[in-house]
Amino acid sequence: MIEARHLSKHYGEIAAVRDVSFQVGRGEVVGFLGPNGAGKTTTMRMLTGFLPPSDGTALIAEHDIFGDPIAARRAVGYLPETLPLYPEMSVRTYLEFVARIKDVPRGGLRSSVERAMERCGLEHMARRVIGALSRGFRQRVGLAQAIVHDPAVLILDEPTVGLDPLQVREIRKLIRDLASPQAGQTQHTVILSTHILPEVEAICRRVILMSRGRKVVDAPLEELVRGGRTLDEIFVRETARDDVEAEAS
Amino acid sequence: MKHVGSIAGREVRALFVSPVAYCVLSLFAIIAGFLFVAHVRAFDEWVIRYQQMQAFEQLSELNLNDHVIMLFLQSMTVVLLFAVPALTMGLFAAEKANGTQELLLTSPLTIWDIVLGKFFAGAIFVLLLGTIVGAFPALLFAYGDPEPLRTLSGLLGLVLVGLTYVAIGVFASSLTRSQIVAFLLSFAILFVLFLLPALAELDLAGSAWLGDFLRWLSTETHLQDLLKGLVDTQHLAYFAVMIAAFLVLTKASVESVRWR
Repeated sequence: MIEARHLSKHYGEIAAVRDVSFQVGRGEVVGFLGPNGAGKTTTMRMLTGFLPPSDGTALIAEHDIFGDPIAARRAVGYLPETLPLYPEMSVRTYLEFVARIKDVPRGGLRSSVERAMERCGLEHMARRVIGALSRGFRQRVGLAQAIVHDPAVLILDEPTVGLDPLQVREIRKLIRDLASPQAGQTQHTVILSTHILPEVEAICRRVILMSRGRKVVDAPLEELVRGGRTLDEIFVRETARDDVEAEAS
Repeated sequence: MKHVGSIAGREVRALFVSPVAYCVLSLFAIIAGFLFVAHVRAFDEWVIRYQQMQAFEQLSELNLNDHVIMLFLQSMTVVLLFAVPALTMGLFAAEKANGTQELLLTSPLTIWDIVLGKFFAGAIFVLLLGTIVGAFPALLFAYGDPEPLRTLSGLLGLVLVGLTYVAIGVFASSLTRSQIVAFLLSFAILFVLFLLPALAELDLAGSAWLGDFLRWLSTETHLQDLLKGLVDTQHLAYFAVMIAAFLVLTKASVESVRWR
């Protein structure tokens, strides 16, 4: 579903992402881990077509982000770190607008919006103005916006940041449901970034750990925590080792 | 380009739920009313003065088109220098400040969808302003007999100037994330454009070619003929070129976000 091929991004002299490759299959939920500034957001932005890679390319649902950018973008639902909301719009008109620019056919507009609101628990908020919603509900609108066109791939940048524990639990459950849906619903492939380790343990089956722009770990969660190691230890060890190497070189 | 309508529609709605649109519209209407009354009264005084002086020759030269409508429309284009930047300042700047730019650029839209959508939203507003302005000369038709075609030509000039200002405002808004900066920037560009004929008169470089070019570049030059009722393709082409040029610049500016 997602294939990153030697993705790199340079800003002048600084390399934000260096030669990152990975593949994610249908229905997988992958946790993107790493300290701040490791290149998680930049990698995600390249996958969504917001930033062009300096080098390398990526395939989203078999569409090359350079060769067929419109089809690739159509296949992605993206929740950026800062929620892309128009505060003056109501939840429903906002989601209808997003559905329209995501190429949802006119006939299916209403039902797509209803379905997205239902999955994100927004049925009673349809007429509320987004600017007046609480942080938790705004986060849900952000998530509804990402799934309104029923994309094959979901890319979520820190989906639970700023939420209270109860809301975090709800959003995590929602993400799990999106990857293993009931009959008749689309199975989404999910990449989510976070630096909250328990979050990865709660929803992801596979972990990609980034540090200083490089991919340092890419393994199923079970394998990583085998032998009693905690994700915490792995995170600290891998990112620290990278620091030592960087200083040595 | 099938999404131009979605973008424009959202933008127009957004303008009408914010106070900006209402402030601009009502201020514009008030200023228009004030200027219109001032021009009509000035006209009235001249008529009375010429009558008292028994200057029938001058009296016969006075007419509503030259001495009220043309002056009124011209002064309204000066008001557009302020009104249009206020309407266009948020078009792209707010998008960046909201973080919604990321939504637009990761959607299956082309950059032209976004740029043209924004431009048309502004264009709809300019047409609204044109309607307000047009209502005042329309009053004169009830009490006098101005030439309708000349009046329409003048209004066309006002709308074309407005559309050019929108294209410039859209461009300025695409350069920054601050609405205030966008306002000042577009006002600065418009003001320079407005002053170009005066600059050409100074003839600083001493080259006739440059003077002609500066005069051609200014909206004022082309507006004058339209106000006189001369709808020349040369002028229509000028406005088309200006609008296209600034929209192409806007496209490049929006696209550059991706390449930074």
